[in-house]
Amino acid sequence: MMMQRTQLLLPLAMEATMLAQQQRGMATLKMISIRLKSVKNIQKITQSMKMVSAAKYARAERDLKAARPYGIGAQQFFEKTEIQADEKAEPKKLLIAVTSDRGLCGAVHTGVARLIRGELAQDEANTKVFCVGDKSRAILSRLYGKNILMVANEVGRLPPTFLDASKIANEVLQTGYDYTEGKIVYNRFKSVVSYQCSTLPIFSGSTVEKSEKLAVYDSLDSDVVKSYLEFSLASLIFYTMKEGACSEQSSRMTAMDNASKNAGEMIDKLTLTFNRTRQAVITRELIEIISGAAALT
Amino acid sequence: MKVWRDVGLTYIHYSNIAARVVREALRVELRADAAKRNISHVKFTPWVNGRPVPRKKKEPTSES
Repeated sequence: MMMQRTQLLLPLAMEATMLAQQQRGMATLKMISIRLKSVKNIQKITQSMKMVSAAKYARAERDLKAARPYGIGAQQFFEKTEIQADEKAEPKKLLIAVTSDRGLCGAVHTGVARLIRGELAQDEANTKVFCVGDKSRAILSRLYGKNILMVANEVGRLPPTFLDASKIANEVLQTGYDYTEGKIVYNRFKSVVSYQCSTLPIFSGSTVEKSEKLAVYDSLDSDVVKSYLEFSLASLIFYTMKEGACSEQSSRMTAMDNASKNAGEMIDKLTLTFNRTRQAVITRELIEIISGAAALT
Repeated sequence: MKVWRDVGLTYIHYSNIAARVVREALRVELRADAAKRNISHVKFTPWVNGRPVPRKKKEPTSES
């Protein structure tokens, strides 16, 4: 009973102090101006972040145009041979989450993580995740920490290079996890304002060699196929990292633009309240002076 | 058949070494730009049972 009463009283007491402050006037005026200043600073920061990401985006898009052939070329092989994963054998899936270390860019990383969560919910026991970038690890580690195979970080500060991609591909091949099929989950860049979370299939050497349509390619031995698959994995990862980086920068640009806009709205509102409060204080002081003078005469 | 395979390199290693050699053989004015593509900072941490496991041997940072 006592507890309940104090709980009820607490907000009331807070309201009373707030009211007292408001009546004093000067305190809130100061508070509003402090708040106004901080919001203005935030707006300045978000605006400059937008500028930075706009410059980075321009570069990422240029890079992406150059990187697209890598992805398309590597995908062609899988399309032409029409590889299907062996359904009889125990499936061992590998998901490669292509994100980056940095946040403040809308829902780019959450989109990738959501798609992976969906895949994991279907078949948790036979699926492993390779996280590229700290963000996907941060999102996935809480629920599916056991499914994480490896985490690659320090991604996203600089534009991805082929060397980055090939190191990741190397780690994927050397983890000791023999996947039969896999997917690279990444954000495909569509335009400045839109990207789409998509997947690219990857297959292991044994799955590829079982494919019947492999005969469309001439004079292949297992050595060539192995070398080719290694290289195609590296180029696919490179391509998806470029797509991801481009989507991330464009998304950050939009996010920061929105943040600046919201800060602008907030500044307008705060300025209005500030002026109104100031006016109220002046009016009240005038009334006090006039009524004081009137009382004397 | 292929010597580099026997040594334990993958095709990725092989092609990266080839790429590095080509970049180093470029003319001076082009080399500076190409050298930027020769760096990589990615770090790896293996996870076992939902916990990161520090790797024993240190990875070289500039090349794979």
